[in-house]
Amino acid sequence: MAESPAFESPVVRSYDTASDGALTLADASATVKWLVRASADGAVAGRLGAPFGSSRAAAGGALVLGSRPGEWIVLGEAGAVAEEVDGIDGLDPSDLVTALDWTHGRALFRVTGPEASAMLEKVCSLDWSDPMTPDGAVASASVAKVTCDLARNDLDGVPSYLIFCDRSFGQYLFDALIDAGNEFGLCVGPGGL
Amino acid sequence: MTMGRLGNAQPTEVIDRGAKLSFRWNGKRFGGFEGDTIASALAAAGEQVFSRSMKYHRPRGILTADYWDPNLLVQVGDDPNVRAGHRRLEAGMEVSAQNVWPSLRRDIKAANGLVGRFLTAGFYYKTFMRPARLWPAYERVLATFAPGGKIDLDTPHRYHDKRYMHPDVVVAGAGPAGIEAALAASADGARVLLVEHEHAVGGHLRYDSRDTAVAALAELRAALDASDVEVLTDSTVTGRYEDNWLGIVQRSHPVAVERLIKARAKTLVVAPGLIERPYVFAGNDRPGVITSTAARRLINLWGVKPGERAVVFTANADGDAAAADLDRAGVEIAAVIDGRQGHRVSSTQGSPRAVEAVVSGGNRIEADLLVVAAGWTAPTSLLNMAGDRPVYDPPAARFFAADPPGNVLATGGLAGDGTLDELRAHGAATGRLAAQRAAAVAHRLQALTARAQPVGGEEPPWAPDDRIPLGRDPHPELYRSDTHGMVDFSEDVGSKDLMAAAGEGYDSVELAKRYTTATMGPSQGKLETVNTVAAIAEARGETIAAVGTTVWRPPYAPLTLGALAGRGFEPVRVSSIQPWHEANGVHTILAGQWIRPDHYGDPAAEVRNVRSNVGLIDVTPLGKLDLRGPDVAKLLNLLYTNKWSKLPVGKVRYGMMCAEDGVVLDDGVTGRLGDEHYLMTTTSSGAGGVWEWVENWLQTERPDWRVHVTPVTTAYTSINVAGPKARELVSRVTDGVDLSPEAFAYMEVRTATVAGVAGCFMWRIGFTGELSFEIHVPAGCGLHVWEALMDAGDDLGVGPFGLEGQRIMRLEKGHFIVGQDTDGLTLGPSTGLGPLIKLDKDDFAGKPELAWAVGRPLPMIVAIQPDDPNIVPAEASQIVAGDTNQILGRITSSRMSPTLGRSICLGQVEPELAAGGTKLTVLLTTGERVGATVMDHHAHFDPTGERLRG
Amino acid sequence: MLLVPCPYCGPRNSVDLRYGGESQPRPDPATATPEQWRGYLYRRDNPADWLRENWYCRSGCRRWFTVERNTATNEFRHPPMPGDKRGGKA
Repeated sequence: MAESPAFESPVVRSYDTASDGALTLADASATVKWLVRASADGAVAGRLGAPFGSSRAAAGGALVLGSRPGEWIVLGEAGAVAEEVDGIDGLDPSDLVTALDWTHGRALFRVTGPEASAMLEKVCSLDWSDPMTPDGAVASASVAKVTCDLARNDLDGVPSYLIFCDRSFGQYLFDALIDAGNEFGLCVGPGGL
Repeated sequence: MTMGRLGNAQPTEVIDRGAKLSFRWNGKRFGGFEGDTIASALAAAGEQVFSRSMKYHRPRGILTADYWDPNLLVQVGDDPNVRAGHRRLEAGMEVSAQNVWPSLRRDIKAANGLVGRFLTAGFYYKTFMRPARLWPAYERVLATFAPGGKIDLDTPHRYHDKRYMHPDVVVAGAGPAGIEAALAASADGARVLLVEHEHAVGGHLRYDSRDTAVAALAELRAALDASDVEVLTDSTVTGRYEDNWLGIVQRSHPVAVERLIKARAKTLVVAPGLIERPYVFAGNDRPGVITSTAARRLINLWGVKPGERAVVFTANADGDAAAADLDRAGVEIAAVIDGRQGHRVSSTQGSPRAVEAVVSGGNRIEADLLVVAAGWTAPTSLLNMAGDRPVYDPPAARFFAADPPGNVLATGGLAGDGTLDELRAHGAATGRLAAQRAAAVAHRLQALTARAQPVGGEEPPWAPDDRIPLGRDPHPELYRSDTHGMVDFSEDVGSKDLMAAAGEGYDSVELAKRYTTATMGPSQGKLETVNTVAAIAEARGETIAAVGTTVWRPPYAPLTLGALAGRGFEPVRVSSIQPWHEANGVHTILAGQWIRPDHYGDPAAEVRNVRSNVGLIDVTPLGKLDLRGPDVAKLLNLLYTNKWSKLPVGKVRYGMMCAEDGVVLDDGVTGRLGDEHYLMTTTSSGAGGVWEWVENWLQTERPDWRVHVTPVTTAYTSINVAGPKARELVSRVTDGVDLSPEAFAYMEVRTATVAGVAGCFMWRIGFTGELSFEIHVPAGCGLHVWEALMDAGDDLGVGPFGLEGQRIMRLEKGHFIVGQDTDGLTLGPSTGLGPLIKLDKDDFAGKPELAWAVGRPLPMIVAIQPDDPNIVPAEASQIVAGDTNQILGRITSSRMSPTLGRSICLGQVEPELAAGGTKLTVLLTTGERVGATVMDHHAHFDPTGERLRG
Repeated sequence: MLLVPCPYCGPRNSVDLRYGGESQPRPDPATATPEQWRGYLYRRDNPADWLRENWYCRSGCRRWFTVERNTATNEFRHPPMPGDKRGGKA
């Protein structure tokens, strides 16, 4: 048959927003994301190097998020993710390791800008201050009434946040984020991580 | 009395005399200035009567000239119940009085005053009761007398939103003590939020014309501007909940009409100042009787001369200062009655334009203004909400904080009295203490939070409270004069009503409040609680301390329903095929949070097409759990009632789950994809619940089992291809799988590439009773596969079908739906699946109760057909014993079957009626009773399942 | 709104968790009498005192945990917060 069809994001509708501005929202749902589960203090945990609540930028370019005790999200370019994930289930035979492709199961958005946390304050009850949510922090919380995984991942010193939600909520959450961001002149930027 | 604008600008005024604003009041044009409130502009124009009271429709004028003034509720455009003493004037406002007919001036409902003795407190418990058949008429009459403004149902929705905050210190109240607290806390490094109810900071300094006050206010404002304190004006801390969770209503946001802030403060400083209390005497609600702070506000904030000739009743220094301000504004002081010397005002008399004060000793003094400074009420609400029960101090004649929790600190008037410098010093000390304690809380939170920056050093010690306490100035206890007067101005409850209520036995303050409605109106006790308590105390011959107060509850200041609703988030879920559905005439149904296709115009035609050709249904919400690990089979044995140890790779089995009480919890099929890899499905509505159920077992009861359970419900778009031509259609788009019946039997699973999409898996199951392949496609490619199937099946007559068609077909096959045909009491065997309950297994969920149910007759799910094939009973119609109302069961599912051309049902019946052939009586919702028969099998159609297994 | 001390995430708003009720050991289903089993299903001690109870951190780490809470004052014993009901004695 023909080549593999393209990945379609759950965000099928966007809106006219301001066209240039400091606060941007990007749909990165097509990003390759893998879910890895293993014991929180075993060899796999050691190799992934991101204890619960923190994240690590791997040398190959993938981002490893310690999203739960014993659970990680690895995301990035397909090759970079494969580098992190390949072979980990063989690392420790005494540990049950699961790695599954979660690319399709999660919508992913990135919010970037000096007022990103002011915008998130409208839809999420976490404490966004630097000591409580520093660059690299990972947590899970309700955003506009949808449970999401969140990671702070600053870009060149500019505050930036990754927001993961169940795919089926993708359009709804995208709309809710634009609604929250309008006050700050949010623009929808090009898709991608 | 005549009010008017003072010609000279006052040093403290907030109006901009260069910016004129024009507006309408009751249809007539008026003018004011930028900075005026609606009430101050009207007062400056000479208006005296602003409203009519709730019950008796007595004319009312300015009492306090601020937010809490009960006489100043007006309608502004389509906004009802606007507080004219607080709302800033805007150009073009259309303002009108509320609850008057035909007009404020000639309000006919004032006739209520004539029947006043029938309208005593609690009158609605005693009148308009009999005869009961006239209640609808009474209701219509009473409705026209109900207070409050008018609501326009066509008012467009406006923007309200919410915000979460995590300040270190929240200071409620920006008077001098509050501002000093905020500054000191900020200087100590705390993140501070200062919330002020009024439009500007400063508290009582704003309307204090003395040089020292003016200078102090300027100094405090400059310091605040130079600091990092976040200041919200025209905003109120309206509730304090557990662990200093605060509700703050922000009325002044540039974008939102009202914003509700939910703040988790580490420490809360409560500095609301004091509220001046009205004095109770005959005629105390007459226009022209105002509090001393009202006089000072009118003069000093808005340059309004409150009258020409005043009597001043004063019992404290602020009343004295008001007399000085009146004098400076050119008001003739007819008399100063000193409450500290034991003198009193007894009553007022006269016409609307004059106030004749009768004072102790019987003297009558002519005036057009009576200014009253009888004492102060401490607004302790936030402390009460923190669990404190403030204590009454008789020499000071007010309540003080008793013992609030350590993270709530009172300063300013709540804590005591003193010179301005002493209040400021106490505020500053409070701010430092608040910052120190907040630092301890912040350290602990940061240390405990997994994602936070590691926190260095030791946790700061919990600072002891070594603030120098403020003194308490003596104040005469002045609540009621020697006559009876109004206590609750909003509710028209007088001291006589309260004492009568006590006499009737409603003598606890909580009972008296509810019986008389005192403190239950728009001012919510700010002006009337202490006078209410004093009246009850007097009636009981006890002290105020002994009587106590009612419990203060949030909100302290009202907020709109819009602010409470915020943006009204209602998450919805859609599958990746939704754009196709929308483009093809779908009628959707909301199932939980999912928007699902119900049908595409003709569900009966959809059923016929599936049974003759082939149909596609989007079943993405079907719960799917990915199970991996060596112990999966153990888990399945635990969760399901049947046996799973020997399920071969590639096979699929149906399972029923029960809860620990033996009640049916969920059902679905589970397939084995590999040695240690299974996929479990659940009902769509049960997906989330079953996952939590599984996690609970694995984490709390079986933590040593090696299983990973991952929900993949939306990682896969699920498409069910059903009908006699299903195999033909699927084979046209599938690679890598032999779909022949010999190679791929019923209840088996395969992985495949479908329409070029790798990583799909498909299984043969049969909810609809037709040959069907359920294909699960990685969701990002789901729409592509659906469209490929539609294209490929054009000549086969492929068409979509929705939930309604699917439900008809499953009912034709007698497949029960958990939660529809089962309920919270339905035990496993009642489904007819008794043989699937393997009691010889080791422990599984529900086993004990299922074992004890063996041999016990249970209600059963059965298939039922009404004798008249055209009658489709409503679901939940009762099954009854003949002509009686004895209930023997109910219809749980009911449809007209296009395949059989007659009505078909499932239902639950008592055990003795469960046998095939039994005759039943169904009570329709019309009241008619019709006959029906129990069928031999659940399936009304193709009971042997030939179509499925082909 | 109560701050519940999730031992993994840290203190969280109570709406982020689901209350699992009084902590009750599960009787051995093979030997439990109907009275014992139904006591496990339905009966709770419900004291106005310290109580062992379960919480599920559903919007966070998705872990079940057990803490002790005083039902009269809402203090938690694991771990205590500064400034709680006892006037700030940590």
